[in-house]
Amino acid sequence: MENKNNIALSVRDLKTFFYTNNRCNKAVNGVSFDVEKGKTLCIVGESGCGKSVTAATIMQLLPTLSRIEEGEIKFQKDDKIINIEKLEKNGKEMREIRGSDIAMIFQDPMTALNPVYTVGFQISENLKYHTNLNKKEIREKCISLLNDMGIPLPEKRVDEYPHSYSGGMRQRAMIAMAMACNPKILIADEPTTALDVTIQAQIFELMDKLKKENDTAIILITHDMGVVAELADNVAVMYMGNIVEAGTADDVLRRPTHPYTKALLESVPVLGRGKNQDINPIKGSTPDPYNRPIGCQFAPRCNWQTESCDVMPEITQINETHQVRCHKYEQFFEKYK
Amino acid sequence: MLLVISFLVYSGLELSPGDAVSHMISPELASTITAEQLDAMREAYGLNQSFLTRYWIWLTSMVQGDMGYSMAGGVAISEIMVKTVPATLELSMVALFFSTILGCSLGVISALKRGSGTDNSLTVAGMAGVSIPEFFFGLVAILLFAIELKWLPVGGRLLPHYETLWDRIPNIVLPSLVLALMMTAGAMRYARSSMLDVLAREFITTARSKGMPEWRVNILHGFRVALTPVVVLIGFRLPLLIGGSTIIEQVYQWPGIGSMFIRSVRASDYPLVMTISLMYVFVVLTASLIIDVLTALIDPRVRLGKE
Repeated sequence: MENKNNIALSVRDLKTFFYTNNRCNKAVNGVSFDVEKGKTLCIVGESGCGKSVTAATIMQLLPTLSRIEEGEIKFQKDDKIINIEKLEKNGKEMREIRGSDIAMIFQDPMTALNPVYTVGFQISENLKYHTNLNKKEIREKCISLLNDMGIPLPEKRVDEYPHSYSGGMRQRAMIAMAMACNPKILIADEPTTALDVTIQAQIFELMDKLKKENDTAIILITHDMGVVAELADNVAVMYMGNIVEAGTADDVLRRPTHPYTKALLESVPVLGRGKNQDINPIKGSTPDPYNRPIGCQFAPRCNWQTESCDVMPEITQINETHQVRCHKYEQFFEKYK
Repeated sequence: MLLVISFLVYSGLELSPGDAVSHMISPELASTITAEQLDAMREAYGLNQSFLTRYWIWLTSMVQGDMGYSMAGGVAISEIMVKTVPATLELSMVALFFSTILGCSLGVISALKRGSGTDNSLTVAGMAGVSIPEFFFGLVAILLFAIELKWLPVGGRLLPHYETLWDRIPNIVLPSLVLALMMTAGAMRYARSSMLDVLAREFITTARSKGMPEWRVNILHGFRVALTPVVVLIGFRLPLLIGGSTIIEQVYQWPGIGSMFIRSVRASDYPLVMTISLMYVFVVLTASLIIDVLTALIDPRVRLGKE
């Protein structure tokens, strides 16, 4: 992508494997992408395709049975480039990046906040470890953060416990927590899956505002195509640990070149087409990660499958921004043009 | 609650064979004594009245603070209580203290090092601690530390010339540790599973994602939440501690309420048995009240209304 200095995070050929019962699950199997400053990258895909693991890998928050096998995660901190994959998992340098440079919002705000501490306390922990503010300043900052998030009566709410917050408010508090140190990158792992649609819109509005005001790069992990269409600058479609198609939102949503992307888009019901509209769900289900198809991972479920699909297709650059991992993309592209 | 249990205990005593009078007379005399003499004694102690009348008399005087007199020795029960209750309290409080601290910390260590050698050996020790009865540990501990190694005294509490608190510490170490052992094992197993449960929760990842050091994540965010069920468990186990103290007091000649209880039951000393069992009930009820207060302190979700 055009200007190297604009890239906040660059992931190259990342592989994260899980080991259980002497078997190996290649959850993330060679993923590459760049995140630009002030832009939103949406990672989409079905459940279990490796979206969340990719996010956890960037934060080095992987469970104990998994590890980064190969690849690079380059994070641009000021003028230095830090290779995150080389840092010790809970070491000092990693901890300095976590929460202050790269922050994360989790899927379920109901469980992601500690029930026994006040919201203010949990936000202040971030500031305590990454800034030199004193107690009073920290408290003021907490209140102003909550205020920015649109929480009413922040002076009072700051001393309340998560259980007296509603779901939407908890997610705002989570965002306040994540944004406390003005991170360069915000990773949001399905931030609205547990919330209802009206709250969802508010949360995204908030994230969009933060992106514009602070030039934060956002990695948004989702399986909701509507959200992608609304928020994404760039989109990466993942399937079985690989990125099958990536590009700008326009590229991917309007001119999908991978059969999987197309299938995903076709399986979304469209408002206004009534109850009888044809929704084409993708046939079959995701393969067993321990018993993967050889070659292209999507081939067994693909209408375009041929013999050539027994070999894993390489990434092909269609234009400057748009890339795809499919043998048949040219024919496919022609047909749906 | 107190009332119901006191009535049940009173009925239980009524149903058991023999009465205080039959224990007051030595076996040698039993053959020579006449039925009239026995009846006269019963009348003197008021045992000839009906069951309900006696219960009523006992209840009303109890409410007025009069615990009555021990039938075996004629000593005022309040006097016996003053002598024995502090001894038992001392023993069980020290044991509670040891078991809570040891149990929680070992449990947390075990959880943090899950699957390691430390964890496995603690698990085995925990199972042994839960399943082997206390009197056995008591006897083994006496053999080992008191008789073989001569580190600590065999038993007793207040010896002549040993009156300061410091002098008494060696005496309390063995019985309280043995008493604490079972509680410790239980608390440890519970703290471990509770801690493991909490460490797998999402807010731990959140805490870690804020870039905090591991100790803060584990202790402040993990242990604090894991503590609630452990406190509840320890509270529910309090009666066990007091029950256990009955046995340990026997083993170590500890002049507490437990050994007094056993003696009074053997002697069919109704007033004393009643008072002591009532006190046990009282302790259990107080314990559950304390647990409620403690859980509210630890876990804000339990608190009601505005602070």
